[in-house]
Amino acid sequence: MTATAPSRHWRDPGGWQFVLAVVLTIVTLFVLVYPAIYVLVGSFRPGGGLLSTAETFTIRNYVRIFQAGFGRFILNSVVICVAATVVSTVLSVMAAYVFSRFEFRAKRTLFTGILFGQVFPWIVLINPLFVAFAAMHLINSYVGMILTYTAFTIPFSVYMLVGYLVTVPKSLDEAAIIDGASRWQVIWLIICPVMLPGFVATATYAFLLSWTEYLFALAFLTQTDLKTLPLGLYQFFGDDYVDWGAVMAASVVTTLPVFLLFLPIQGWISPGRIAGAVK
Amino acid sequence: MRDRLFITTMLLPAVVLLVLFYGYPIFDNLRISFTDLSLLGMKKGGNWVGLANYRELLHRGDFSHILFNTLIWLTATSVLLRLLIGLGIAVLLNTRALKTLRLASVARFALLVPWATPPIVAVVIWRFLLERNGFVNDALMGLNIISQPIAFLADMRTVWPSIVTIMLWNTVPLIALSLLSNLQTVPEEYYEAAELDGATNWQMFRFVTLPFLMPAILVLGLMSVFWSFNNFVYVWLATGAGPGTFTNVLATEVYLKAFVDFRLGYSSAIGMVMAVVMGAFGILYLRLVAHRQLEETL
Repeated sequence: MTATAPSRHWRDPGGWQFVLAVVLTIVTLFVLVYPAIYVLVGSFRPGGGLLSTAETFTIRNYVRIFQAGFGRFILNSVVICVAATVVSTVLSVMAAYVFSRFEFRAKRTLFTGILFGQVFPWIVLINPLFVAFAAMHLINSYVGMILTYTAFTIPFSVYMLVGYLVTVPKSLDEAAIIDGASRWQVIWLIICPVMLPGFVATATYAFLLSWTEYLFALAFLTQTDLKTLPLGLYQFFGDDYVDWGAVMAASVVTTLPVFLLFLPIQGWISPGRIAGAVK
Repeated sequence: MRDRLFITTMLLPAVVLLVLFYGYPIFDNLRISFTDLSLLGMKKGGNWVGLANYRELLHRGDFSHILFNTLIWLTATSVLLRLLIGLGIAVLLNTRALKTLRLASVARFALLVPWATPPIVAVVIWRFLLERNGFVNDALMGLNIISQPIAFLADMRTVWPSIVTIMLWNTVPLIALSLLSNLQTVPEEYYEAAELDGATNWQMFRFVTLPFLMPAILVLGLMSVFWSFNNFVYVWLATGAGPGTFTNVLATEVYLKAFVDFRLGYSSAIGMVMAVVMGAFGILYLRLVAHRQLEETL
């Protein structure tokens, strides 16, 4: 048994080091996962589980949030985020294709500029955009939010897509063009099918970024019937009273699509690449 | 020539949108910061006040407090702890003992949970856990560590550590997973050679692992500075900059001044301060990250 003769290799601990590693891992797992489970369970209990009642399972929290108009927030979020994702992905595919296929003078400058969009302090844009939006009647409007989220997700999407597209050999395009295909046909009929998983992963992540965005929604949407999900979630926090049951049910409804969409794509979104896209 | 037309058409929509949403506003923000524009009087516009907003900002007693909160708590503390804990978890999950127990793959999956949790929900979760009669107080009282429940997000002694905890729970997994994937590329021979030379565990970590991870740590640290310094949601949703304005940071101050006090001009001046600080980090970003991303991608 190696446990009696501890290895000197630090990555291969034996004896008490082994036990320590396992204990630490279990503690880490607990801290990582338990809070999320706690809320999931709480969403099915009266008052989120803080009330001491005999009742242990109820769906009343969920019923209550939908009676309070949560469905409307979901609808608003779906409309805004789906539209923004579609526009953003189409524009990003167009730009990324050019970046991956052609040499031109401003290429490096433009691409660096787009990369900078990933670290841009968005909070600084709030005032000037609010002034401009107010003048153009884009406050409290779907169009305003769709445009904002399109611009918000393009830098990340272009960067991701260029990364995928450079892996598709240029000879594929050239062969098709010799056969008489137009560039548009090349993108639509050749690149899209090959890169579909990458496109879907990018679009999904863009959707998730918009789905959970809070600041712009807070500043640009003041009318209750236009508010998005993140704003709706926080309306259950009263000034001196928090309806924890409703808050938790709303949290689960907000997060569920995120988990369902994120898990299948996370293999495509390596943490290294995404490091630039987290706001 | 046909190519040129094609390139322009394909790039134009994205570039125009980016210029409208990033380029134009930053200049307009500068202009607004020289005016006394009010949210309530946008139709009539603001009057030119020159540097008055910037002078006010320098002479206000609370500005240094806000700056301290932003730089020390929101940025420095969270970034350093994020890197340290992330590195710790990555090293832990890379131990062979865990691999043989198949705990490592379970733990990797566990890391996905906080990572996939949206920040807006992460704050909800922790506000609930940190309630007066919530899980954390119950646990601490059960272990006899405290005798009275603590109002974690309302008590000045605990509010910043609590906010930082929320940020860490939500963002450490990304760092840990990144470093873990880097760790798995360290050539085994390096350790074998070090072992032959009689290196201790600590020496192997210090002279083999750490230098190998350093480039990744630097990049993640820098990106982390951007996410933290500019972040609005953690502080705003956890405390609303309170108690009072105790946890106010630059990002929440921009919002408060513009949308609560209606002073767009003054708020924009604070925004310019943020833009200048981030501009300095932007140069580092250009050198360390953008340059590399450009080489890797194009």
